[in-house]
Amino acid sequence: MPFTPQPAIPIKDKISVSYLVQRLKERVHIDLVACAAGDCGDHRYVTEADLTRPGLALAGYLELFTYQRIQVIGNTETQYIEHLPEDKQKEAFANLTQYQIPVIFLTDGNQLPQYLLDLAEEVGIPIYATPYETTRFMFLLRDFLEDQFALQTMVHGAMVDVYGIGILIAGKSGIGKSEVALDLVERGHRLVADDVVMLTKKSSVLMASATQMSKHFMEIRGLGIVDVMSMFGIRSVRYQKRLEVVVELTLWDDTSEVNRTGLDHDTVNIMNLEMPYITLPITPGKNITVIAEVIAMNHLLKHYGYDPAKAFQDRIQSSIAEKTKGKGNTMQRAIEYFEGDIE
Amino acid sequence: MIKKKVTILNSSGLHARPSAALVKLASKFKSDFYIHMYGYRVNGKSILGVMTLAAEQGAELVFEVDGPDEKEALKNILELVENKFGMQDE
Repeated sequence: MPFTPQPAIPIKDKISVSYLVQRLKERVHIDLVACAAGDCGDHRYVTEADLTRPGLALAGYLELFTYQRIQVIGNTETQYIEHLPEDKQKEAFANLTQYQIPVIFLTDGNQLPQYLLDLAEEVGIPIYATPYETTRFMFLLRDFLEDQFALQTMVHGAMVDVYGIGILIAGKSGIGKSEVALDLVERGHRLVADDVVMLTKKSSVLMASATQMSKHFMEIRGLGIVDVMSMFGIRSVRYQKRLEVVVELTLWDDTSEVNRTGLDHDTVNIMNLEMPYITLPITPGKNITVIAEVIAMNHLLKHYGYDPAKAFQDRIQSSIAEKTKGKGNTMQRAIEYFEGDIE
Repeated sequence: MIKKKVTILNSSGLHARPSAALVKLASKFKSDFYIHMYGYRVNGKSILGVMTLAAEQGAELVFEVDGPDEKEALKNILELVENKFGMQDE
């Protein structure tokens, strides 16, 4: 059975505006001051990570107005409002307040006249002001929201940081994933999670971590549950690690096809991201732990621009090219002249 | 593949021993066994996976069995759940 990841579900499908504001203040260190309807935040919910600049909506063009998103009013919008006479200002602002907008942020120290704030207060749309510059504020807010609404999935396997490369060891129950992970920990690598691995997608990165419950516990068949952190200490564990390679252990079967050159790179799709994927048949005398280390080092080499399979391929091709020109030699010893037994 | 909704009956929920009983039984069968809860799917043959759910009494789970002996596996697993995982009154 090939490695099949599970359907992804979002961490949260909505967050309340008061939670958002509190987190932005505490975690992202953004100054926010409530200007209107500050107490309505508990019942207003943000449901998506995207933001809207409501310039066109203020001007009266309401087709495709994404009112369900967070609205950010910056310099352009404020100056547009200010250049209108008072009654037109109210009219323009009412274009926004007629919708169920979750929250409006006023950036770059901009302020709205009191009679517009009163309009928002009436319908209970919270407005917060911040001295942060608009694009910078939007970047921080987007980053925060993307994490809040990130997709998650749970996979079965052991996640280990090997030489800084995040390897997920997958395979059927009882094939020896935990044993390989334990062996890797014993050799100084770090365990992220065993058996239950939570994958979170953030932009094009998959972050793996354990669940709150199974954190740094491991089941060794025949022995039961062991606590890796208590046994091997703090250096043997990690909270999270980016997933970089998926290694699936399979039972050897004469019909199964295995990669012999390493020229072709298989991938597996997890939450619409293609992850490097290696199938490793277990055969007698094969030390999976050492192979896992080799996989990590090979991945690092490729990352640094050296692909051994390709280097070998190039060597063969140049040798063949030489031969077709009639210059090449037959099979040659790797060294031309032995100087005694030195090296 | 068969799916079946199940309710946990024993008073102290799916703690270590009931989980072990469930995993042990499921591992006897060739079929893959998964448990769905909170929208996630965990491998029912992994004890840490099952214990991570920390399913309480009355919790509703969906069992998914897929393989050559799925009918027999599900029948045995359901019996175990109904017998409160062979636990005496806790």
